[in-house]
Amino acid sequence: MDRHIRWLLVSPAVLIVVALTIFPLAFSLWVTFVRYDFTLGPEHPWVGLDNFVENWKDPVWRASLWRTAWFSVSMVAIELVLGTLLALAMLRPFRARRVLMTLFVIPLFISPVVVGGFFDLFVRRPYGVANQLASWVWPGTVTIDFSNDSPWLYLVLITADVWQWTPFMFIIILAGLSAIPDTLYEAADLDGAKPRQSFFFVTLPLVLPVVLIAVTFRLIDSAKLFDIIFSLTRGGPGTDTYTTSYYLYQQGFEFFHLGQGTAGAWMFMIILTVISYWLVRRLLKPTEEAA
Amino acid sequence: MTGVAGRSRPQAGGASRVVGRGRFRIGGVVRFVFIGIYVGFLLLPLYWMAVTSIKSQDDQLADPPVWFPGEPTTTNFADALNRFNGWKGLENSLVVAVFTTVLAVALGTAAAYSMARFRTGGKHLAFWFLSQRLLPPIAVIIPVFLLYSRYSEEWFGFVLIDTRIGLILLYTVFALPFTVWMMYAYFRQMPAELEEAALVDGCSRLQALTKIAWPLAAPGVVSAAAFAFIFSWTEFLFAQVLGRDEAVTAPVALAGMITFFQGNLYGQASALTVVSLVPALLLGILVQKHLVRGLTLGAVKG
Repeated sequence: MDRHIRWLLVSPAVLIVVALTIFPLAFSLWVTFVRYDFTLGPEHPWVGLDNFVENWKDPVWRASLWRTAWFSVSMVAIELVLGTLLALAMLRPFRARRVLMTLFVIPLFISPVVVGGFFDLFVRRPYGVANQLASWVWPGTVTIDFSNDSPWLYLVLITADVWQWTPFMFIIILAGLSAIPDTLYEAADLDGAKPRQSFFFVTLPLVLPVVLIAVTFRLIDSAKLFDIIFSLTRGGPGTDTYTTSYYLYQQGFEFFHLGQGTAGAWMFMIILTVISYWLVRRLLKPTEEAA
Repeated sequence: MTGVAGRSRPQAGGASRVVGRGRFRIGGVVRFVFIGIYVGFLLLPLYWMAVTSIKSQDDQLADPPVWFPGEPTTTNFADALNRFNGWKGLENSLVVAVFTTVLAVALGTAAAYSMARFRTGGKHLAFWFLSQRLLPPIAVIIPVFLLYSRYSEEWFGFVLIDTRIGLILLYTVFALPFTVWMMYAYFRQMPAELEEAALVDGCSRLQALTKIAWPLAAPGVVSAAAFAFIFSWTEFLFAQVLGRDEAVTAPVALAGMITFFQGNLYGQASALTVVSLVPALLLGILVQKHLVRGLTLGAVKG
């Protein structure tokens, strides 16, 4: 009985994914090895690995990889720390908790492309409010060009992402914390564990799998950072805020080098695969840790 | 089955009296100062957006910035909803998001349960689901467009481009990795003994899933559902390419106001964003209710 049901339960999910992705994946694999260029006519001659080489020869591509790496690591790190602290702070009920919970999830419901647009409105001179706010805490009149000057621009992008995605970490970690049975804490209590010890020996091990999943998905998504760049900086000034996804988008949709753009996407996927496999390898182990 | 629940109920009541004695938390004043600062950080952009939605064009571009308009206006709302595809976008987004959520949670929970309890497919299947999320959209967006606009008609006789069903199917595929993994983690953590007891008591596997495992994993189900909804509610790139006219979604309508040719229709964009937050508030209430319930449900497991 179980033998049939296990496959019955898995197959709808697998089937819908396969049905919708098999053609796009096959097509995009083929495209990486041909010249598929909307500006160069309808023929698609085989070019071997040229599309891959083109990317590596482009310094903008290499710079975009490093930028993407430090962008996503710093964004996710800040979100993780803020989200964890917030979840711990919100765990015990208090009066305004209900209202705050509702408030905290709001940023998640705004499309990233819109968040980028509003942060642009927020910082753009002269009618954006960021400089006025800065003038209140900093002596003198502050006139920073947040949308063009070097460290500030990155700060705005990271802040926008943190603003949007900290709630994601918060909800997942809070759900993880809530799911820990109280009996475990009682047992730890009886054994004479101090709160700090029960945090490290009860809370952390039980919450870690969920946190790892949250971090993995955030890392993958922030590594594909596109929407905020698209509406906030358009990659500028120059190519200073090109993330890999934005670079690939530009190759494919503005220069119409679809072959090169897709080849870059596959290389990027391989890098992401290695990193995320390393991150979740513990979760993939078949042995259950004793809970 | 009822026997199991009946036996554990008094235990749950007993446990709730001593809830969290040994729990580590951020204490007293620090806790509320931290929450306060975060609320400020959160509210500032939200306030700016809300106030922009009732500003006239002059007030939006004023220097120094106007913190509250002398003459608030509602024209932005009427404009955004009627002239710039606002209603249509919201309606499409809602339909697409609701159906995607139901599909992704139903399929994802079933798959995750099987993977966690019977180790179906082992780690390969689990990682295969995750890998669906790894490829940057640029690699598949053109082929998906071709599939939807041309080949779906040639091969199967129906058009998927610019339809809600097309978006729902695609979003379900995108939402599934997260749903599966979220539920996989929950089911793996949950002791199998309760379900085994139910099976001994004469439950079928399916009943064990729907009556025991599912309610116990409620906090996980709620977060998984919330994120499936959020994903489809906010997705932009694919909606932009696949749903331009009939199936235009709210993010596409919004992005049209602030990024492309129309330039800076920030008043209208703010107004539409404010309206689009209504589901956020409803869902926020739902989420926190279930998270709180998760607190007491945790006691049943022991």
